[in-house]
Amino acid sequence: MKKNKFICEFIIKIIILSLIIPVGTLIIWSFTARWPWPHMKPSGFNIGSIEYVFKSNNFFEVLFHSLGISFIVTILTNLISIPGAKAIGVYDFKGKELIKTLIIVPIIVPIVAVSMGIHVTFIKAGLANNTLGVIIVQLVVTLPYSMKILISAFENIKDKFEMQGQVLGANRFQQFRYITLPLIMPSLISSSSLVFVISFSQYFLTLLIGGGRVITYSMVMFPFIQSGDRSLGSAYGIIFIIITLAVLFLLDIMTKTYYRMEKYTCPKSK
Amino acid sequence: MINRKMKIFFMLLPTLLIIGGIFFIGILKGFFISLGYFPEVGLEKFTLYYYKEVIKDKAFIDSLKFSLYTSFWSASIGVLVGVLLAYLLLEKKNKESIDYWLYKIPVIIPHTIGALIIYNIFSQTGILSRILNYLNLIDDYNDFFQLVYDTHGIGIILTYIWKEIPFVVLVVYTVLKGINTKLSEAALNLGASKRQVFFHILLPLAGPSIMGTFIIIFAFSFGSFEVPFLLGPTNPRALPVKAYIEYTNPDLRHRPYSMVINMVLSAISFIFIIMYVKVFKKISKYE
Repeated sequence: MKKNKFICEFIIKIIILSLIIPVGTLIIWSFTARWPWPHMKPSGFNIGSIEYVFKSNNFFEVLFHSLGISFIVTILTNLISIPGAKAIGVYDFKGKELIKTLIIVPIIVPIVAVSMGIHVTFIKAGLANNTLGVIIVQLVVTLPYSMKILISAFENIKDKFEMQGQVLGANRFQQFRYITLPLIMPSLISSSSLVFVISFSQYFLTLLIGGGRVITYSMVMFPFIQSGDRSLGSAYGIIFIIITLAVLFLLDIMTKTYYRMEKYTCPKSK
Repeated sequence: MINRKMKIFFMLLPTLLIIGGIFFIGILKGFFISLGYFPEVGLEKFTLYYYKEVIKDKAFIDSLKFSLYTSFWSASIGVLVGVLLAYLLLEKKNKESIDYWLYKIPVIIPHTIGALIIYNIFSQTGILSRILNYLNLIDDYNDFFQLVYDTHGIGIILTYIWKEIPFVVLVVYTVLKGINTKLSEAALNLGASKRQVFFHILLPLAGPSIMGTFIIIFAFSFGSFEVPFLLGPTNPRALPVKAYIEYTNPDLRHRPYSMVINMVLSAISFIFIIMYVKVFKKISKYE
């Protein structure tokens, strides 16, 4: 029995290490200017590549533009999916199953096909080659995920608590602000995190609909990876990961503060 | 009553506008163009010509096979390892362990960076070939297997596996945890081994969700562009890459060819959707 447990632990460690160690290669290579084959160790460590990334033409401009797009996409996705997910999660109506299926369709059907098809329409509508178009088209990719998460949240709470609030005289806004919102907050945070990651990583949609005029972080990073420039590609990669982690961390902190503030006014969700 | 229906309709409207509007118009427009109806560039006759041309092309068939093959192997191995890890994590006593969040790291890393990571390790001048050289197993990096840009798509498959394992674990771990522990305990009491509990209780109950996850990751890797574009061979190209290259042809009258490829991609994914819906009907039966 003891031996068995040891083997299990060993397999867990092996799998997890083979997921994590590869990421480590990014760190080594981003601090390496020269590391010719077949040396096992780089010829020296320096911060040249990282410095290059930060000093490259309008790095911060691109970064803020990119973060801006992803924040707007995250907020819009939530605004759209809260009422939509509530309708599906709480109420019964004809065609509900069909709509539930429609929502997962964009996860499975290749976005390559959809975006090339919609491109002409976007050009005609003046939505191609600009930030607005990129934001709108990203919603197609992010909505299915946030809908899926929020639908199961609403299926769990239904509207019984809101009803109680209504009976006690809370108006629509109060019902949402003090009852529904705190209850769905954990799901809202996980959907926001996921949506942000999807939007911030997006390359193909930005390339096609943005037409090379909308420059995001992923767009700037891509050519370095494509040309096999390990040092600069890795430097861009590491900075990308750190920024993403920072945003997710901030979201987490925000939830915790939110709950500390709400502690005495609201029932804690399950 | 009508009031209530209107309310539900308006709550769903934005979602339907985005998904229905953009998504389905996109597919429909692509479908018309694939049939040769593209009035914007002066093509106005419906025809099956482009379909015939594309299907006759041997390179297209090779691309289709290549895409199906890479997606199948990455999804299968990803699901296998993912389910194993999810089960082992479930059995683990110390739930506070750092392992529970370490495995999630690849989830936040985009596919493009994933491709670079695989390139760092598995390319001919990558870390693995250096290790083999250090061990005196190869003398020159050209002796090392070509694992990226190769016709077997090993680099592509490895990237997807690396990205997919955490996703599978996330889903399957939640499902396994949700399965009533009384069932397993009863079986253990009656003398079943852990292996029997896994294969005869946990696996059948989690089966549909595992199948659903398999379909999603298969479909995703089948239809996405970045990884095969970065790590794939020039011949055969993966289907989405081929579609994009046809699309960037400066002659707009060439567009129907790329749309035919897109329609093939979409048609195959519609089969996935039907499978997915069927699988989920099974899940609701259990509930």
